[in-house]
Amino acid sequence: MKVNTILLGMLAGVAALHAQSTPPDFSGVYYPLNPFGRFAATTSAPKGPPPRPTASAPLSDGSRGRTPDEPSLTPEYLAKWQTISKTRIAGSPEYDLTAKCLPPGMPAMMSMAYGMEVMQNKDKITFFSELNDALRRVYLDGRKPSQKVLDDPTYAGYSMGHWEGDTLVVETVALRDNTFIEGFTPHSDQMTVHERIRLLEPGLLEDRITVTDPKALTKSWETVKTYRKASREKGTDELREFACAEGLGEAK
Amino acid sequence: MKVAAIFACAALWLTPLAEAHHSNSAFYVTKVITIKGVVKEFKWSNPHVWVILTVDDGKGNKVDWKVEGRPPGILSRAGWTPKVLQVGETVTIDLSPAKDDSASGLIARVTKEDGTILANAPPPTE
Repeated sequence: MKVNTILLGMLAGVAALHAQSTPPDFSGVYYPLNPFGRFAATTSAPKGPPPRPTASAPLSDGSRGRTPDEPSLTPEYLAKWQTISKTRIAGSPEYDLTAKCLPPGMPAMMSMAYGMEVMQNKDKITFFSELNDALRRVYLDGRKPSQKVLDDPTYAGYSMGHWEGDTLVVETVALRDNTFIEGFTPHSDQMTVHERIRLLEPGLLEDRITVTDPKALTKSWETVKTYRKASREKGTDELREFACAEGLGEAK
Repeated sequence: MKVAAIFACAALWLTPLAEAHHSNSAFYVTKVITIKGVVKEFKWSNPHVWVILTVDDGKGNKVDWKVEGRPPGILSRAGWTPKVLQVGETVTIDLSPAKDDSASGLIARVTKEDGTILANAPPPTE
Protein backbone atom coordinates (compact mmCIF):
# COMPACT_ATOMS: atom_id res chain seq x y z
CA MET A 1 0.00 0.00 0.00
CA LYS A 2 2.76 2.31 1.02
CA VAL A 3 4.76 1.38 -2.07
CA ASN A 4 1.74 2.04 -4.28
CA THR A 5 1.26 5.49 -2.79
CA ILE A 6 4.92 6.33 -3.36
CA LEU A 7 4.70 5.08 -6.96
CA LEU A 8 1.56 7.13 -7.59
CA GLY A 9 3.24 10.17 -6.16
CA MET A 10 6.26 9.66 -8.42
CA LEU A 11 4.02 9.25 -11.47
CA ALA A 12 2.14 12.45 -10.64
CA GLY A 13 5.47 14.24 -10.31
CA VAL A 14 6.66 12.99 -13.70
CA ALA A 15 3.35 14.03 -15.29
CA ALA A 16 3.63 17.50 -13.78
CA LEU A 17 7.19 17.87 -15.05
CA HIS A 18 6.08 16.72 -18.50
CA ALA A 19 3.22 19.24 -18.52
CA GLN A 20 5.67 21.98 -17.61
CA SER A 21 8.10 21.10 -20.38
CA THR A 22 5.57 20.40 -23.14
CA PRO A 23 4.44 23.61 -24.82
CA PRO A 24 0.85 23.95 -26.08
CA ASP A 25 0.16 22.96 -29.69
CA PHE A 26 -1.10 25.90 -31.78
CA SER A 27 -1.45 23.82 -34.98
CA GLY A 28 -4.63 24.31 -36.98
CA VAL A 29 -6.58 26.61 -39.28
CA TYR A 30 -7.80 29.88 -37.78
CA TYR A 31 -9.86 32.90 -38.79
CA PRO A 32 -9.46 36.35 -37.25
CA LEU A 33 -12.22 37.58 -34.96
CA ASN A 34 -12.34 40.99 -36.61
CA PRO A 35 -10.80 40.58 -40.07
CA PHE A 36 -11.91 43.83 -41.63
CA GLY A 37 -11.34 46.24 -38.76
CA ARG A 38 -14.07 48.72 -38.05
CA PHE A 39 -15.82 47.84 -41.26
CA ALA A 40 -18.75 45.43 -40.91
CA ALA A 41 -18.60 43.04 -43.83
CA THR A 42 -21.74 42.21 -45.76
CA THR A 43 -22.85 38.88 -44.39
CA SER A 44 -26.09 36.97 -44.52
CA ALA A 45 -28.14 37.71 -41.41
CA PRO A 46 -29.62 34.68 -39.67
CA LYS A 47 -33.10 36.23 -39.44
CA GLY A 48 -35.02 38.55 -41.76
CA PRO A 49 -33.76 40.36 -44.83
CA PRO A 50 -30.26 41.72 -44.31
CA PRO A 51 -29.85 45.47 -44.59
CA ARG A 52 -28.53 46.92 -47.82
CA PRO A 53 -24.72 47.20 -47.59
CA THR A 54 -23.24 50.64 -47.18
CA ALA A 55 -19.65 49.66 -48.04
CA SER A 56 -17.79 46.97 -49.95
CA ALA A 57 -14.50 47.08 -48.03
CA PRO A 58 -12.83 49.09 -45.28
CA LEU A 59 -11.85 52.61 -46.29
CA SER A 60 -8.10 52.34 -46.82
CA ASP A 61 -6.96 55.42 -48.70
CA GLY A 62 -6.24 57.69 -45.74
CA SER A 63 -8.86 60.24 -46.82
CA ARG A 64 -10.04 60.55 -43.20
CA GLY A 65 -6.53 61.05 -41.86
CA ARG A 66 -4.83 58.99 -39.18
CA THR A 67 -6.42 57.84 -35.91
CA PRO A 68 -4.73 57.90 -32.46
CA ASP A 69 -4.61 54.09 -32.31
CA GLU A 70 -2.42 53.89 -35.40
CA PRO A 71 1.40 53.94 -35.13
CA SER A 72 2.77 57.36 -34.19
CA LEU A 73 5.06 58.40 -37.04
CA THR A 74 8.09 60.68 -37.07
CA PRO A 75 7.75 63.71 -39.41
CA GLU A 76 9.82 61.97 -42.13
CA TYR A 77 7.60 58.87 -42.16
CA LEU A 78 4.37 60.85 -41.77
CA ALA A 79 5.36 62.66 -44.98
CA LYS A 80 5.87 59.26 -46.64
CA TRP A 81 2.44 58.16 -45.46
CA GLN A 82 0.89 61.34 -46.86
CA THR A 83 2.56 60.76 -50.23
CA ILE A 84 1.17 57.21 -50.37
CA SER A 85 -2.26 58.40 -49.20
CA LYS A 86 -2.44 60.90 -52.09
CA THR A 87 -1.85 58.13 -54.63
CA ARG A 88 -4.49 55.92 -53.00
CA ILE A 89 -7.08 58.69 -52.84
CA ALA A 90 -6.43 59.19 -56.56
CA GLY A 91 -7.20 55.49 -57.05
CA SER A 92 -3.65 54.37 -57.85
CA PRO A 93 -2.36 50.92 -56.78
CA GLU A 94 1.26 52.21 -57.02
CA TYR A 95 2.18 51.41 -53.40
CA ASP A 96 -0.21 48.48 -52.92
CA LEU A 97 2.14 45.50 -52.67
CA THR A 98 -0.53 42.86 -52.09
CA ALA A 99 -2.40 44.07 -55.20
CA LYS A 100 0.81 43.18 -57.08
CA CYS A 101 0.64 39.68 -55.55
CA LEU A 102 3.56 40.36 -53.20
CA PRO A 103 3.47 39.16 -49.57
CA PRO A 104 1.98 41.61 -47.05
CA GLY A 105 5.09 41.25 -44.85
CA MET A 106 5.42 41.38 -41.08
CA PRO A 107 3.59 42.45 -39.01
CA ALA A 108 0.76 43.29 -41.46
CA MET A 109 0.45 39.64 -42.50
CA MET A 110 -0.68 38.69 -38.98
CA SER A 111 -4.02 40.41 -39.72
CA MET A 112 -4.73 37.16 -41.63
CA ALA A 113 -7.96 38.58 -43.08
CA TYR A 114 -8.55 35.50 -45.28
CA GLY A 115 -7.48 32.88 -42.74
CA MET A 116 -4.31 31.40 -41.26
CA GLU A 117 -2.83 27.93 -40.92
CA VAL A 118 -0.37 27.18 -38.11
CA MET A 119 2.00 24.24 -38.40
CA GLN A 120 4.08 23.45 -35.33
CA ASN A 121 6.78 21.03 -34.31
CA LYS A 122 9.46 21.09 -31.64
CA ASP A 123 11.97 23.16 -33.63
CA LYS A 124 9.80 25.37 -35.81
CA ILE A 125 6.36 26.97 -36.04
CA THR A 126 5.11 28.08 -39.45
CA PHE A 127 2.36 30.63 -40.06
CA PHE A 128 0.63 30.54 -43.44
CA SER A 129 -1.70 33.26 -44.70
CA GLU A 130 -4.33 32.45 -47.33
CA LEU A 131 -3.94 36.03 -48.60
CA ASN A 132 -1.24 35.83 -51.29
CA ASP A 133 -0.08 32.42 -49.95
CA ALA A 134 2.31 34.28 -47.62
CA LEU A 135 4.39 32.29 -45.15
CA ARG A 136 6.66 32.86 -42.17
CA ARG A 137 8.80 30.50 -40.14
CA VAL A 138 9.61 30.96 -36.48
CA TYR A 139 12.68 28.98 -35.37
CA LEU A 140 12.39 27.47 -31.90
CA ASP A 141 15.75 25.69 -31.73
CA GLY A 142 17.74 28.63 -30.46
CA ARG A 143 19.37 29.60 -33.75
CA LYS A 144 20.25 33.21 -34.53
CA PRO A 145 20.33 34.93 -37.94
CA SER A 146 23.67 34.88 -39.74
CA GLN A 147 25.18 38.12 -41.06
CA LYS A 148 24.16 36.91 -44.52
CA VAL A 149 20.52 36.80 -43.39
CA LEU A 150 20.75 40.21 -41.70
CA ASP A 151 22.15 41.68 -44.93
CA ASP A 152 19.31 40.18 -46.94
CA PRO A 153 16.00 41.47 -45.52
CA THR A 154 12.74 39.76 -46.52
CA TYR A 155 8.99 40.40 -46.33
CA ALA A 156 8.41 37.99 -43.44
CA GLY A 157 11.80 38.69 -41.86
CA TYR A 158 13.73 36.28 -39.65
CA SER A 159 11.84 35.07 -36.56
CA MET A 160 13.28 33.48 -33.42
CA GLY A 161 10.95 32.09 -30.79
CA HIS A 162 11.09 30.55 -27.36
CA TRP A 163 8.53 29.39 -24.82
CA GLU A 164 7.88 31.26 -21.58
CA GLY A 165 5.46 28.85 -19.93
CA ASP A 166 2.49 28.55 -22.31
CA THR A 167 3.38 31.74 -24.19
CA LEU A 168 5.43 31.74 -27.38
CA VAL A 169 7.72 34.79 -27.42
CA VAL A 170 8.94 35.79 -30.88
CA GLU A 171 11.43 38.38 -32.09
CA THR A 172 11.48 39.23 -35.82
CA VAL A 173 14.31 41.12 -37.55
CA ALA A 174 15.76 41.52 -41.08
CA LEU A 175 12.60 43.06 -42.56
CA ARG A 176 12.38 44.88 -45.90
CA ASP A 177 11.56 48.58 -45.63
CA ASN A 178 9.00 48.71 -48.47
CA THR A 179 6.21 46.87 -46.62
CA PHE A 180 3.69 48.33 -44.19
CA ILE A 181 3.19 47.95 -40.44
CA GLU A 182 -0.57 47.90 -40.96
CA GLY A 183 -2.76 49.52 -43.60
CA PHE A 184 -0.15 51.51 -45.48
CA THR A 185 1.84 52.83 -42.51
CA PRO A 186 5.50 52.80 -43.62
CA HIS A 187 8.52 51.75 -41.57
CA SER A 188 12.31 51.69 -41.84
CA ASP A 189 14.82 48.85 -42.10
CA GLN A 190 15.37 49.21 -38.35
CA MET A 191 11.94 47.86 -37.44
CA THR A 192 11.74 44.89 -35.09
CA VAL A 193 8.57 43.01 -34.20
CA HIS A 194 8.03 41.43 -30.80
CA GLU A 195 5.15 39.01 -30.25
CA ARG A 196 3.63 37.11 -27.35
CA ILE A 197 1.36 34.34 -28.67
CA ARG A 198 -0.83 32.19 -26.43
CA LEU A 199 -4.11 30.31 -26.25
CA LEU A 200 -6.63 32.34 -24.24
CA GLU A 201 -8.80 29.22 -24.11
CA PRO A 202 -8.87 26.08 -26.27
CA GLY A 203 -9.26 27.20 -29.90
CA LEU A 204 -8.81 30.93 -29.22
CA LEU A 205 -5.32 32.18 -30.11
CA GLU A 206 -4.02 35.64 -29.23
CA ASP A 207 -1.02 37.47 -30.71
CA ARG A 208 0.10 40.58 -28.81
CA ILE A 209 2.35 42.47 -31.22
CA THR A 210 4.76 45.26 -30.32
CA VAL A 211 6.54 47.12 -33.12
CA THR A 212 9.62 49.24 -32.50
CA ASP A 213 11.33 51.40 -35.09
CA PRO A 214 13.64 54.22 -33.93
CA LYS A 215 13.56 55.91 -37.35
CA ALA A 216 9.87 55.69 -38.24
CA LEU A 217 8.03 55.62 -34.89
CA THR A 218 8.03 58.17 -32.08
CA LYS A 219 7.10 55.35 -29.67
CA SER A 220 6.61 51.60 -29.90
CA TRP A 221 3.23 50.51 -31.22
CA GLU A 222 1.10 47.70 -29.85
CA THR A 223 -1.78 45.78 -31.34
CA VAL A 224 -3.60 42.56 -30.46
CA LYS A 225 -4.89 40.02 -32.96
CA THR A 226 -7.25 37.22 -31.94
CA TYR A 227 -8.06 34.14 -34.02
CA ARG A 228 -10.70 31.41 -33.64
CA LYS A 229 -9.78 27.86 -34.64
CA ALA A 230 -11.82 26.47 -37.53
CA SER A 231 -13.85 23.32 -37.09
CA ARG A 232 -13.96 20.25 -39.29
CA GLU A 233 -17.70 19.92 -38.66
CA LYS A 234 -18.39 23.28 -40.30
CA GLY A 235 -16.06 22.41 -43.17
CA THR A 236 -14.01 25.56 -42.66
CA ASP A 237 -10.71 23.94 -41.67
CA GLU A 238 -9.28 23.81 -45.19
CA LEU A 239 -7.82 26.99 -46.65
CA ARG A 240 -7.97 27.45 -50.42
CA GLU A 241 -5.04 27.93 -52.79
CA PHE A 242 -4.65 31.62 -53.63
CA ALA A 243 -2.49 31.60 -56.79
CA CYS A 244 -2.52 35.40 -57.04
CA ALA A 245 -0.48 35.50 -60.26
CA GLU A 246 -3.49 34.01 -62.06
CA GLY A 247 -4.83 37.54 -62.31
CA LEU A 248 -1.56 39.46 -62.74
CA GLY A 249 -2.14 40.02 -66.46
CA GLU A 250 -5.32 41.81 -65.50
CA ALA A 251 -3.65 44.22 -63.09
CA LYS A 252 -3.71 47.85 -64.04
CA MET B 1 -19.26 57.47 -88.09
CA LYS B 2 -20.73 54.00 -87.91
CA VAL B 3 -17.29 52.47 -88.49
CA ALA B 4 -15.79 54.63 -85.76
CA ALA B 5 -18.50 53.48 -83.37
CA ILE B 6 -17.80 49.86 -84.23
CA PHE B 7 -14.08 50.39 -83.65
CA ALA B 8 -14.79 52.06 -80.33
CA CYS B 9 -16.92 49.10 -79.25
CA ALA B 10 -14.26 46.66 -80.40
CA ALA B 11 -11.61 48.55 -78.47
CA LEU B 12 -13.78 48.45 -75.36
CA TRP B 13 -14.32 44.73 -75.73
CA LEU B 14 -10.66 43.92 -76.34
CA THR B 15 -9.60 45.57 -73.11
CA PRO B 16 -12.27 44.44 -70.66
CA LEU B 17 -10.03 43.07 -67.96
CA ALA B 18 -6.83 44.79 -69.06
CA GLU B 19 -8.07 47.80 -67.13
CA ALA B 20 -8.99 45.71 -64.14
CA HIS B 21 -8.23 46.94 -60.66
CA HIS B 22 -6.74 44.87 -57.89
CA SER B 23 -6.39 47.51 -55.23
CA ASN B 24 -9.38 48.60 -53.14
CA SER B 25 -8.05 52.14 -53.49
CA ALA B 26 -9.45 52.15 -57.05
CA PHE B 27 -13.00 52.26 -55.65
CA TYR B 28 -15.19 54.51 -53.51
CA VAL B 29 -15.52 51.64 -51.00
CA THR B 30 -17.84 53.49 -48.61
CA LYS B 31 -20.30 54.27 -51.40
CA VAL B 32 -22.65 51.58 -52.72
CA ILE B 33 -24.76 51.72 -55.87
CA THR B 34 -27.07 49.03 -57.26
CA ILE B 35 -27.16 47.68 -60.81
CA LYS B 36 -29.33 44.96 -62.32
CA GLY B 37 -28.54 43.06 -65.47
CA VAL B 38 -27.80 39.81 -67.23
CA VAL B 39 -24.64 37.81 -66.53
CA LYS B 40 -22.49 37.78 -69.66
CA GLU B 41 -19.46 36.15 -68.03
CA PHE B 42 -18.54 34.83 -64.59
CA LYS B 43 -14.86 34.26 -63.99
CA TRP B 44 -13.83 32.32 -60.87
CA SER B 45 -10.22 33.41 -60.50
CA ASN B 46 -7.65 34.79 -58.12
CA PRO B 47 -7.05 37.29 -56.74
CA HIS B 48 -10.61 38.34 -57.63
CA VAL B 49 -13.68 36.80 -59.18
CA TRP B 50 -15.26 38.75 -62.04
CA VAL B 51 -18.80 39.30 -63.24
CA ILE B 52 -19.40 40.93 -66.60
CA LEU B 53 -22.96 42.19 -66.33
CA THR B 54 -24.93 43.56 -69.28
CA VAL B 55 -27.01 46.44 -67.95
CA ASP B 56 -29.70 48.46 -69.70
CA ASP B 57 -28.70 52.09 -69.17
CA GLY B 58 -32.30 53.32 -69.50
CA LYS B 59 -31.49 55.15 -72.75
CA GLY B 60 -31.82 52.14 -74.99
CA ASN B 61 -28.16 51.15 -74.68
CA LYS B 62 -26.63 48.04 -73.20
CA VAL B 63 -23.54 48.61 -71.09
CA ASP B 64 -21.20 45.84 -69.96
CA TRP B 65 -20.21 46.42 -66.33
CA LYS B 66 -16.99 44.74 -65.19
CA VAL B 67 -17.42 43.98 -61.55
CA GLU B 68 -14.89 42.32 -59.27
CA GLY B 69 -15.36 40.44 -56.03
CA ARG B 70 -13.20 39.02 -53.28
CA PRO B 71 -11.03 35.92 -53.89
CA PRO B 72 -12.52 32.42 -54.38
CA GLY B 73 -11.26 31.28 -50.95
CA ILE B 74 -13.28 33.69 -48.81
CA LEU B 75 -16.25 33.64 -51.19
CA SER B 76 -16.35 29.80 -50.98
CA ARG B 77 -16.80 30.17 -47.25
CA ALA B 78 -19.59 32.71 -47.90
CA GLY B 79 -21.55 30.21 -50.02
CA TRP B 80 -20.23 30.93 -53.53
CA THR B 81 -19.11 28.17 -55.94
CA PRO B 82 -17.45 28.30 -59.38
CA LYS B 83 -20.90 27.78 -60.94
CA VAL B 84 -22.99 29.91 -58.58
CA LEU B 85 -23.74 32.37 -61.41
CA GLN B 86 -24.86 31.20 -64.84
CA VAL B 87 -24.45 33.08 -68.10
CA GLY B 88 -27.84 34.54 -69.03
CA GLU B 89 -29.28 34.80 -65.53
CA THR B 90 -30.48 38.11 -64.15
CA VAL B 91 -28.88 39.37 -60.95
CA THR B 92 -28.79 42.54 -58.88
CA ILE B 93 -25.36 43.68 -57.69
CA ASP B 94 -24.64 46.15 -54.91
CA LEU B 95 -21.19 47.54 -55.64
CA SER B 96 -18.77 50.34 -54.91
CA PRO B 97 -18.11 52.35 -58.07
CA ALA B 98 -14.64 52.92 -59.50
CA LYS B 99 -12.98 56.29 -58.94
CA ASP B 100 -12.19 56.55 -62.65
CA ASP B 101 -15.92 56.62 -63.55
CA SER B 102 -15.63 53.48 -65.69
CA ALA B 103 -18.47 50.96 -65.72
CA SER B 104 -16.78 48.84 -63.06
CA GLY B 105 -16.95 48.27 -59.34
CA LEU B 106 -16.20 46.22 -56.26
CA ILE B 107 -18.92 43.78 -55.14
CA ALA B 108 -20.67 44.36 -51.81
CA ARG B 109 -23.20 41.59 -52.52
CA VAL B 110 -25.04 39.82 -55.34
CA THR B 111 -28.77 39.03 -55.19
CA LYS B 112 -30.22 36.37 -57.47
CA GLU B 113 -33.75 36.57 -58.91
CA ASP B 114 -35.02 34.01 -56.36
CA GLY B 115 -33.84 36.27 -53.54
CA THR B 116 -30.69 34.31 -52.68
CA ILE B 117 -28.06 36.68 -51.36
CA LEU B 118 -24.39 36.04 -52.07
CA ALA B 119 -22.53 38.03 -49.42
CA ASN B 120 -18.91 39.15 -49.85
CA ALA B 121 -17.77 37.51 -46.60
CA PRO B 122 -18.78 34.56 -44.43
CA PRO B 123 -20.60 35.21 -41.13
CA PRO B 124 -18.24 36.72 -38.54
CA THR B 125 -16.18 34.35 -36.42
CA GLU B 126 -17.37 34.48 -32.83
